[in-house]
Amino acid sequence: MSQSADTLTSRQRSDLGASDPLRAFKDKLAQYSITMGGLMVLMTLLMIFGYLLYVVEPVFRNASIEIQQQQKLEANTNVVATGSDELNEIAYYYTDKGQLRFYPLVETSPAKSVVELPLVASQSISSIASSGSDVAFGLNDGGLMVSQPSFMMSFTDKGREITPQVRYPLGEESLTIDAQGQPLTQLAFQRDEEQVSAVALTQDHRLLLSTLVAEENFMTEEIEWVSETNQLHGIPTSISKLQITPDQRLLFVLSSNQLYIYDIVAGAFDAPRQVVEINEPGAKVTDISLMSGGSSILVGNSNGVITQWFETKSDRGRRLTKIRNFTVEGSVEKIQAEPFRKTFAVLNDKGDLRLFHSTSEADLLDEPLVNKATALQFSPRNNALIFTTKDSIDFYNLENEHPEVTWSALWQEVWYEGYPEADYVWQSTSASDDFEPKLSLVPISFGTIKAALYAMLFAVPIAIAGAIYTAYFMPPNLRKVVKPTVETMEALPTVILGFLAGLWLAPIVEEYLPFVFMIIFVIPATIVLFAFIHHKLPKKWRNILNEEYSTLMLIPIILLASMACYGLSPMIEEALMGGDARMFISNELGIDFDQRNALIVGIAMGFAVIPTIFSITEDAIFSVPQHLSNGSLALGATRWQTLVGVVLLTASPGIFSAVMMGLGRAVGETMIVLMATGNTPIMDWNIFEGMRTLSANIAVEMPESEVGSTHYRVLFLAAFVLFIFTFFFNTVAEVVRQRLRDRYGSL
Amino acid sequence: MINLEPTDAATQDQVLDLANLTDEQTAFSIEDLDLFYGDKQALKGVSMRIPKGQVTAFIGPSGCGKSTLLRCMNRMNDLIDNCNITGEIKLEQQNIFDRNVDVATLRRRVGMVFQRPNPFPKSIYENVVYGLRLQGVKDRRVLDKAVEESLRGAALWDEVKDRLHDNALGLSGGQQQRLVIARAIAIEPEVLLLDEPTSALDPISTLVIEELITELKNKFTVVIVTHNMQQAARVSDNTAFMYMGELIEYSDTNTLFTTPAKKQTEDYITGRYG
Repeated sequence: MSQSADTLTSRQRSDLGASDPLRAFKDKLAQYSITMGGLMVLMTLLMIFGYLLYVVEPVFRNASIEIQQQQKLEANTNVVATGSDELNEIAYYYTDKGQLRFYPLVETSPAKSVVELPLVASQSISSIASSGSDVAFGLNDGGLMVSQPSFMMSFTDKGREITPQVRYPLGEESLTIDAQGQPLTQLAFQRDEEQVSAVALTQDHRLLLSTLVAEENFMTEEIEWVSETNQLHGIPTSISKLQITPDQRLLFVLSSNQLYIYDIVAGAFDAPRQVVEINEPGAKVTDISLMSGGSSILVGNSNGVITQWFETKSDRGRRLTKIRNFTVEGSVEKIQAEPFRKTFAVLNDKGDLRLFHSTSEADLLDEPLVNKATALQFSPRNNALIFTTKDSIDFYNLENEHPEVTWSALWQEVWYEGYPEADYVWQSTSASDDFEPKLSLVPISFGTIKAALYAMLFAVPIAIAGAIYTAYFMPPNLRKVVKPTVETMEALPTVILGFLAGLWLAPIVEEYLPFVFMIIFVIPATIVLFAFIHHKLPKKWRNILNEEYSTLMLIPIILLASMACYGLSPMIEEALMGGDARMFISNELGIDFDQRNALIVGIAMGFAVIPTIFSITEDAIFSVPQHLSNGSLALGATRWQTLVGVVLLTASPGIFSAVMMGLGRAVGETMIVLMATGNTPIMDWNIFEGMRTLSANIAVEMPESEVGSTHYRVLFLAAFVLFIFTFFFNTVAEVVRQRLRDRYGSL
Repeated sequence: MINLEPTDAATQDQVLDLANLTDEQTAFSIEDLDLFYGDKQALKGVSMRIPKGQVTAFIGPSGCGKSTLLRCMNRMNDLIDNCNITGEIKLEQQNIFDRNVDVATLRRRVGMVFQRPNPFPKSIYENVVYGLRLQGVKDRRVLDKAVEESLRGAALWDEVKDRLHDNALGLSGGQQQRLVIARAIAIEPEVLLLDEPTSALDPISTLVIEELITELKNKFTVVIVTHNMQQAARVSDNTAFMYMGELIEYSDTNTLFTTPAKKQTEDYITGRYG
């Protein structure tokens, strides 16, 4: 209109131009608000995606380090142990003379201080071992002294103040390990609240195990250490390293490439339980280190291979088994495991630092250090690394929030410590401290698919058969009632369905198991039998009921058949299953049985998705043009032939999308699976066992998950996976539907 | 299988005395047929005999009952709720409303083509053999032969012989309608009912179909409902004029269009109403 306005006279313009400004305004307003609404929907979707990815992303980040401080050492200082306080404000190191030196990492911390080990004049240090923050000193007179730095936090007007202190957990006097007074040349030490174990090699090559048990004095409530010392036999001639597991159960003695394992808790002191060659072929063992929790031992080799070993059950009892390898360049110089988690650091002979996570096999960091280090230590909160170099102590900040998650740990079998083999495990929390979260998404994804499939198995035949009957055979008056009624079922809150399924249906199904399985077979058989009899009846009889209503006769017949099954159920149980179906299934058939199982979920969730599938299928069949089925009937087809040959074919895009919509709903459904399954993340198709689905897993664990933790982020990842699942099903549904519609639908 | 050569058709192109057809000359014999849709009476006492091997046209204004009458002949009205029929239609001396008549068999003998082309969403080939497959014919050679003969019979073979396995929905409207006719004649019915077969088609397609109809009567009895009086005049041997559910006049086409016996017929064919 406007382009030609110039050539028109004003009178003509008023005839052809926009006559009503209000109408034009309404037009524009409608256009903009609809466009806006559409864009908002897209935006919301993108924002949900974006936020999920934003929360999940840090899980896949690698570690990073950054130097914070370098502490120069005085000449001729040999550092034997390092550490810091929990807040990384004060660091310390022990020298080989037993001196404990604190030094500040930030300006507000107290100045340097030195604490000497309270030795008697005749005593000198002959060996050193550290475990946790304890540093144990073996003395030249066969004695043992343990020192532990501690930090007092107090709050004053100036703010928080940290005061370094030293504690002597076993007393300020040395404890005697070797009654013969020989110097202790090698030492290993472990301590917990109730028991202390120390293993020492004397100069005359005896290996002594000293166990101290805390005994509380009833009167004074003082703690007294009662010690017992035993000599270990069958030891190798040269010993390069001693290690006691934190649970003080096993002693590892490294002699060049051989590892001698003593079961010290069992009192087997006469001989090692097992001797293992732990070197890689053609390489020498350079260092061993216990992983946090002490179940795994890491072995460094001169060819740069680090092997992880732990005990697994075998027919010869528990044996140390090699589990996996890590590789660094050059030769392994030093291995240090992180406390509480399964990360470990490796120094090679070139001065590079490597960080790995054992179970997830994550390669977290590969970085050259400023100064070549000989030893390293993690800070108590795993957020810093303290390196000992030739003439300084280097303090690095470490960023390593989520080492335990990698793509392979989430989706592949992982061999966890103490497991007999690699497996998919979801076990996010437990009561114990040294517990390692097992975050495999495979069992819960499996559970989602299992629940959805059993639900579809129940729902699809019923919903589609029902829809076909309603759309194609049912008298129109009845259809007007039936269709809205089934659609109302969709409005049932799923929490009620789940509640009924878990608390009412599950016990009934458990009690009348033969009944449930009988009706699955008896009802279809009854229908077929009825159809056959009806067909064979003389015409006079057959036409008593109008053709269309003859189906109603099925209702009493099915009811009768169900009642017969119900009545027969206990007899069959008695006759075939020895009176208890559940016992029969679990004992005779060897199938595990849970009360809340896939059968219950299939029924309850199937019930929930029936209306969705029914409604869309019914619409699809009903909207097949009448003239198509007339065409088929006019060619001499029966109604049934017309249905199969033409109507279902033409409705197939709609039926397919109905099934996919149902599947999408079943995958995302939460309340029913939450309440009607045992929420056990197991991987088994067994219909009598439960499962845990992605959605139920999020619902169960999100409230107890610490914000920002690995667990929290993996739950978001589970949500993302769920999103992808439904996205996938809906996309497939749409694509297939479009293609089917191109083929069958252009009518 | 389908032989379109002129058969020994006694009635072919003859002007018959429609009031006194012998049973051998009769395809359908309709007697005192009343039809009600609920309370509304759509057909009132219709009685007529439709001769074998000729084209009979039903004409009349919209709503006069001509389509309803046609649909009675293969009982397509059964599908309509509260449709009640009294009287009888005899096909080869058998009342098609008898209880022991199998509707599917009846429809196999009395084929029908509808106003709108309604090919199934299948290939051209599968559309043609649909009726044969329903009868359980599986022999590939028999099916192939039937496809070729039916498509030739429907004057479609040359246009589609290279794309028999393409979707039938890709054909033009006129081709679709000829495909539907091919589908109907593939099962060799005795009677072919055509319900305004050209009303949805362009003039050229209409011409092709009209030529086809004159060919078809060599083999089948054809009954055609049409709005178009010229079409009735062109293709039919006999014409029935219906008005308000009643059969007003029924005679050979020539007579009906040149010297109608009834005033109503004359008014209609001269275009005074309708």
